[in-house]
Amino acid sequence: MENFFSALQAFISDPIGIMYFFAALFGGLIFGSIPGLSTITLAAIVLPFTALMEPLHAIMVFAVMYVSGCYGGAVTAILFNIPGSPNNAPTVFDGYPMTLKGESGKAIGAAIMCSAIGGVASVILMMIATGPIANWALKAFGPPEIFALIFFGLIIVGSVGAKSPWKGWLSVSIGLMLATIGVDPAVGETRFDFGSSFLMGGIGFVPLVLGFFAVSEILVQGHRIAAGMRLPPKIGVDFPSLIEFWKLKVAMIRSIFLGFFAGILPGIGAILAAFLSYSVAVRLSNKPEKFGTGELEGVVASESANNAATGAAMIPLLALGLPGGALTAVMMGAFEIHGLEPGPLVFATNIDLIWGVFVAMLIANLAIFVLGYMETKTIVHLLRVPFSFLGPSIILISTIGAYALRNTILDVWVMFIAGFAGYFLRRWNYSMAGIVIGAILGKLGESAFVKSMQILDYNYFNFFERPICAVLLSLALASVLVGGLRIAWSEKTSFVKGLLDR
Amino acid sequence: MTIRMFKVAFIFGVFFVFAYPTMAESLTKPGGFPKRTVTVMITVGTAGGSGQLARAWGAAMEKVTGTGFQVISKPGGGGLAAIPDFMNRPADGYTILLQTDNLISAGAANKIDYAVGKDIIPLCVVQTTFNQIYIRPDETRFSDWKSFVAYSKANAGKVSMGNIAREGSMERILANAMQKAAGIKVKQISFDKPANRYGALLGGHVDILFEQPGDVKKFLKAKKMKPILTFLPNRPEAFSGVTSLTDAGMPDVPSLMKTRVLWVRKGVSEERKSYLEKACAIAFKSEEFQGFNKKKYMHIGRSFYNAPDAQGLIMEMIATYRSNYKKMGLIK
Repeated sequence: MENFFSALQAFISDPIGIMYFFAALFGGLIFGSIPGLSTITLAAIVLPFTALMEPLHAIMVFAVMYVSGCYGGAVTAILFNIPGSPNNAPTVFDGYPMTLKGESGKAIGAAIMCSAIGGVASVILMMIATGPIANWALKAFGPPEIFALIFFGLIIVGSVGAKSPWKGWLSVSIGLMLATIGVDPAVGETRFDFGSSFLMGGIGFVPLVLGFFAVSEILVQGHRIAAGMRLPPKIGVDFPSLIEFWKLKVAMIRSIFLGFFAGILPGIGAILAAFLSYSVAVRLSNKPEKFGTGELEGVVASESANNAATGAAMIPLLALGLPGGALTAVMMGAFEIHGLEPGPLVFATNIDLIWGVFVAMLIANLAIFVLGYMETKTIVHLLRVPFSFLGPSIILISTIGAYALRNTILDVWVMFIAGFAGYFLRRWNYSMAGIVIGAILGKLGESAFVKSMQILDYNYFNFFERPICAVLLSLALASVLVGGLRIAWSEKTSFVKGLLDR
Repeated sequence: MTIRMFKVAFIFGVFFVFAYPTMAESLTKPGGFPKRTVTVMITVGTAGGSGQLARAWGAAMEKVTGTGFQVISKPGGGGLAAIPDFMNRPADGYTILLQTDNLISAGAANKIDYAVGKDIIPLCVVQTTFNQIYIRPDETRFSDWKSFVAYSKANAGKVSMGNIAREGSMERILANAMQKAAGIKVKQISFDKPANRYGALLGGHVDILFEQPGDVKKFLKAKKMKPILTFLPNRPEAFSGVTSLTDAGMPDVPSLMKTRVLWVRKGVSEERKSYLEKACAIAFKSEEFQGFNKKKYMHIGRSFYNAPDAQGLIMEMIATYRSNYKKMGLIK
């Protein structure tokens, strides 16, 4: 507690630090909410400038951007059906239908509350036990366990957003196939590159997210306008009531724990956290059919988990010096620019800096609540902008975002191809989220699988000698079996019903 | 008159004290080159060793040339996806590529469409470092190279090593040569990200790790990793307690080094290339860059090679790689 209060006191009495804090907070919110312009883009831009700052200010800027960026992406997900980042993809399932029902304020309000609560909870856990948690995760989760978790995650989330489990799993399979393009993680051989150096680099997930969510959404809306079927979203500025939140307390706590757990594991992070949390909420609900139609619990599950994962993702970086994702890798660069080394010694050598970062993250999460509340009353008015202006603006921003990824026009082409493919796949009730998560986790999963097979002497059964792997893989296989039986049963029932109807 | 002479002497004195050192270090810009910001292209993420080096070297070059050096990252394809983009840029010296031995080994294996040393020309080598094998300090099964070899022989094929993924890379060649020379069989686990590789050793998922000391310095300082073998013929002073190749009875294992090279593409005018080469040498000697290199253990051996020496080193490395690739059946 002494460390906490002295860091808090230092924060309050540091006007320059406060200035950087707010710049990072707003920067993260803005970049997080613009599709394609993620906080990673902002972090890469800011990195050279942080060399001129005090070490605490520099690290704090990244930590605060990380926190606020994760919330920012929920706004466009809810208002326009376009997630600001893949972390917010499950938020669209119920957030956008709520907007169509005139409950956009309630959805954004829920996203704010859950982001703030999820974030605060994860920072508190981080303050209490960074070292032990990091060491536990490092020892308990080797490549086989990571693979088992990704496999389990893909099976569980496969059906999210699709009309049937089969279409969901097929969507994930499309994503997995896209993930195989480029250099393989086993021996560095190139696959499906057709002699193109661009394809050798693999398909980036940012153009895919922009294509499948933003471009396809604009096409769908354009089609509806042309057909005279478009229902303009309604503006709602009501904040969710405390009673509504109280009813969702179990879902929120569960999502925070799921998010925190997924966030600790290197590379898994907020994306799988949000999807897993949403899927579990659907499966445990006594009204699963309501999900996807504007159910508040869907927004709560997704947003609590992804923000809880942000704090957790800092744990392996700070305690072990092992960055788990792109933003934490850039943050490690910031540490090194200042001659600091995140890792085992940092708690002994730079304790003030670490607690300064903890406090800044805590305050950032609280600030999200205040700013978000104000934003709820204002940002929803973006829905008043006519679609003839809004649609092209989104396409323009998305194009810039896709190009900025690697400064190549080919990423823009990927975005548009994904957009057109997404338009048709959506009409046929495939899951855009399934494709994107397949593409993202496919690379991580394959990499973990290759390592696992090498470690386990290429014997599949050796997975089941490791308790965590055995549990996760058994659950995944059971889920496939139960899903298959349900489909078979419903097909049989409808067949019998059809015969009886004759 | 005396006062006037004193004033003239004072002005000359001030000039020599402050301006002469600058003149000695300054270079004549050929045709005003560089007039605008120079791009340093790295082929991996910005946070890793190449990104740190590019920023440190760029800052030193800015002081020498008075022009900005902007670092851009084009990752993908195991560091090779950026090469065509680099080669498609104008041959005007405004784009410099920072690439490692990865490019050299890829060139040797004919994995890229350009001839390394001819189409892609070295300006200078700014970092070379040696490799080591690391274990966990609390490891109970073995504590040094000798006991590790004994354990590996007793448990053939059971011991695992974290290494990078690409077959034919410097790391893989050395690891294979080490196994052959020591008469051991080690499972090489492919890790495409350094953090995962380090985490695998720390978490006990692999038994040993192949790395360079600068990259794992923080773990060495924190006593979370311990070196047991240095891939050099003799023990460097900083690791005087660690077995060298000669000590281990493996003098024939090649001492391939992790090498970071700055390159320009073919077609850049000789005068611009010469200017950049000279600037590179001055930047390398700067106090800031020397401090940076020391932090990364790059001061132990020779770290800087000017353009002709770099060309020689690279050709030598290509020959070594090709000879190994032929033995491995990767090329004919």
